[in-house]
Amino acid sequence: MRFLPALGLTAALGMTLAACGSSSSSSTTSTSSAPSAITIGTTYAGSGTYATSSIPELDGLKFWMTQENKKGGVYVGAYKKRIPVKLVDYNDLSSASTAATLYNQLITQDKVNILVADFGSVLTAPAVSLAEAHKVVLFDQTGTGIPFFTPQNKDIVLCDLPESDIWPDVLAQFLIAKGIKKVAIVYDTNDFDESQAVTLKSKLQAAGITPLVYEGVPTTTSSYTTILNSVAAKHPDAVLEFGYQPNDTAFLQNVQSSGQHFKMVFTVFPGQLLSLFQSQVGTAGLKYTYTYGTNLYINYPKVTEGLNSAQFKSQFSAAYPGQLNALSLAGYNTGLVIQGSLKNAKSLSQAAIRAGAQQLSGNLTTVDGKFQLNSEGAQVGELLPVAQLFPSSSGVTLHAVYPSSQATAKAVYPAP
Amino acid sequence: MLLKFRDQRQNPSEDLKGQSRWRRAASPWVAAAIPVLIFLVAVHVYSNELLLVDMAIYIALAQGINIIYGFTGYLPFGYFGFFGVGAYVAGYGIIHWGLSGPVAVLVGGVGGALAGAILLPLFRLRGAYFALTTLAAGEAFYAIVSNPSLTSITNGPYGLNLATAYSSGWSFGMAVGLAGVAILVAALIKRSRYGMTLKAIKDDPYSAAMAGINVARDRFYAWLIAAAIAGVGGAIYGWAISVFYPQDVFDVTVSVFAIVFALFGGIGSIWGPTIGAALLYAIYNVVGVSNPQYFQLIYGLIIVLLVLFAPRGLAGLMASIRERRLFGGGAR
Repeated sequence: MRFLPALGLTAALGMTLAACGSSSSSSTTSTSSAPSAITIGTTYAGSGTYATSSIPELDGLKFWMTQENKKGGVYVGAYKKRIPVKLVDYNDLSSASTAATLYNQLITQDKVNILVADFGSVLTAPAVSLAEAHKVVLFDQTGTGIPFFTPQNKDIVLCDLPESDIWPDVLAQFLIAKGIKKVAIVYDTNDFDESQAVTLKSKLQAAGITPLVYEGVPTTTSSYTTILNSVAAKHPDAVLEFGYQPNDTAFLQNVQSSGQHFKMVFTVFPGQLLSLFQSQVGTAGLKYTYTYGTNLYINYPKVTEGLNSAQFKSQFSAAYPGQLNALSLAGYNTGLVIQGSLKNAKSLSQAAIRAGAQQLSGNLTTVDGKFQLNSEGAQVGELLPVAQLFPSSSGVTLHAVYPSSQATAKAVYPAP
Repeated sequence: MLLKFRDQRQNPSEDLKGQSRWRRAASPWVAAAIPVLIFLVAVHVYSNELLLVDMAIYIALAQGINIIYGFTGYLPFGYFGFFGVGAYVAGYGIIHWGLSGPVAVLVGGVGGALAGAILLPLFRLRGAYFALTTLAAGEAFYAIVSNPSLTSITNGPYGLNLATAYSSGWSFGMAVGLAGVAILVAALIKRSRYGMTLKAIKDDPYSAAMAGINVARDRFYAWLIAAAIAGVGGAIYGWAISVFYPQDVFDVTVSVFAIVFALFGGIGSIWGPTIGAALLYAIYNVVGVSNPQYFQLIYGLIIVLLVLFAPRGLAGLMASIRERRLFGGGAR
C-alpha cells in the first residue's frame, strides 16, 4: 500500500504533463464577432519515413500564410475583412498513432478554425473519422486514400491531388498509345500504391494487355535486387514501380547498380521531389526515367487565386532556397483552397467553411491547376500527365510528354 | 468463538495481522481502481480523449508485457502482432458481422488470444531466439493481413474504415476499463499460487517441472492472457481512430513502447508498469509536441540513465531507497 501515494502522484503528474503538451492558442469560432486570428492547425512529420514529403508541404502552407499576413491576413467573407492567420503545427514523427492524438489536440484543445492533414494517406487516415465525428472540415492535402471518401463523410476536402486510383489514367493511355505490350508492374502493398497498380492493370487489360509481372512488395522494402532479376528475365518493354519516395529511390538505385537496362522505367515520386532524387539517385540513374508530371512543371500564367507559376517559383525559391518541389506547391495550394473557402463562407462555422469549399469547385484555378470536387469531397480537377526526365546541364530536367495537349517534349522511347 | 474474538481484539499484533491481510486482499483492487478513477477525472479536465485512450491502452500493454515477461521471463518483441490482429478482428466484426463496438472489442481480444495460441510452438525457444521469432511472427501477421490476395477478407493494404461505429465516449470507457482489468489481472496473478508458479518457471523451468509444475500449461495461460490484453488493446485503438491501415496497427513501435514502459516502471511489480507507461507516454507527448527537435535526445537520455542507474526500473529504485531507509546507507 506504500506505493499508492506514488502511483496517484505519478499518474496525476502524467496527466498534467500530457495536458501541458498542448498549446493554448485557441480561438473562437463565434459568428457574432470577428476573431483576432484565424488558427490553422496541422501536423507534420519532422522525422521518419514521411519527413521528406511532409516538411515541404508544411513550408508551402507557411509560405501562403506569410503571403496573406503581409496583406493583413486572409480575407474572411463573413466579416468582410482580412484577419491574420496563425499556424499551430505539431510534429507527429511519421507515426499515425501520434498524429491521431495531435489531431484530437488541435480539435479539442486548440479549437482551431481550420484543420489541415499531414502528408499522405497514412498520416491523414487518423484525422478522417475524428474530423467527421467533431463535424470539423478536414482540408486533406495529399491523402488520396480511397477509404476516406464516402457518401456519408461530408467533412473532407481533398485539396491538391486526385484520388490515387485515378492517377495512372494518363499513364495507361500513354502505354496503349505507344503500343507497349509487355509490361511489368511492381507495387508496394499499401493503399496509395496498390490502388494505382490496380487501376493501371485493369485499364491495360481492357486494352488487351496483360502485365507480364504484377507483383506486390511490402512498403518497408528497401532492396529490389531479387525482384528486378525476375522482372528482367521476362524481358518487359516497360517496368513500372509504384512506391513511396524511399521505395522509388531504392528501386532506381537498384536498377542502376544491377546493370539492368529497360526500355522504360516509371516511378511515382521523382516528379514531386526531383532535387531529392537527383541527390540520392544521381543523373545517370534518373535520365529518361518516366514519372508523373506534377503541376510544378506545368505553366499556369493565369490563375484565379494566388500567384501564377512563374511568380510562385521565384518568390517561394527566394523565401525557401532550394526547397521548391511539387509538395511545397501542394502546401501552398492548400492555403489557396482555404483562402477561397473562407472568402465564400457565410460564417466561421465548419458547415459554412465546407459550403465555401464546395462553392469553389470548378471555379478555382491556381498554380496547381483546376480545383474540382466530386460529391464525396475528392479532387477530380487535376490530371497527372506522364513526364520524362531528360539529361541537361543541371542534371536532369522534367518535361511532360503525354498527353500532347500538355507535352513540353517528345517522349524518348526506348530509353537509350 | 466470542472468546477468540475478544482475544484477537485484545492482542494488538493479531489486530495488525488482520489489518495487513485486509490490505493485502484489497491492494490489487486499489491498484486497479486508482488509475481508473484518475482517468475518469482527467477526461473532465483534459478533453483530448484520444491521448488518454492511448495512455490507458499502453498501461494495459505494459501490464501484458509484465505478465509474460515480468512473471515468466519470455520477452515478446512481436507483441504488436496480437495488437494488430485484435484491431483487424474487431474491425472485421464491425464491418461484416455488424457487431457493436464494445462487442467487437471483446471479439478482438479473442482474436488476439487465438493468435497467441497459434504461436504456442515458439515456446520451444528461449531468450533472444524467442524474442526474435515473435518479432518475425508479428511481421508475418502483418504480411498476411496486408496481402493483396486477401483483399476480399482483410481489405488488404486498403485498411479499414470503421467510422460508422465510431464512439469516442465508449472507446474511452473501454480503454480505461481495459487498463483497470489488466492491472487487476496482473496483481491477482502475482499474489496467487499461479503467480508463484510463474515465478518458479521464470527462475528455472527445469527445476519447476521437476517440482511437479506443468510448465507448458501454466506458461501458455500467461501467454494467452497477455495476447488477449494486446488483442483488446488493438481493437480499442482501431475503433478509436476508426480509419487505419495495416501498418498503423502492426507497428513494431507498439512493442517497443510497451516493453520500454514496463522496463522503465519495473517489471515484476504491479505499479511499476502503470507508472512507467503513464509517465513515459506523457513525456513522449510533451517532448514530442513541444520540443520535437530534442525528442529523440531526451527520450534516449532517459533510457540510458534508466539502464545505468535503475536497471530494475522505478520499482527497483523505490525498493532500494526503502532498503536504505530501513537498514541505513551502508546496508547491502
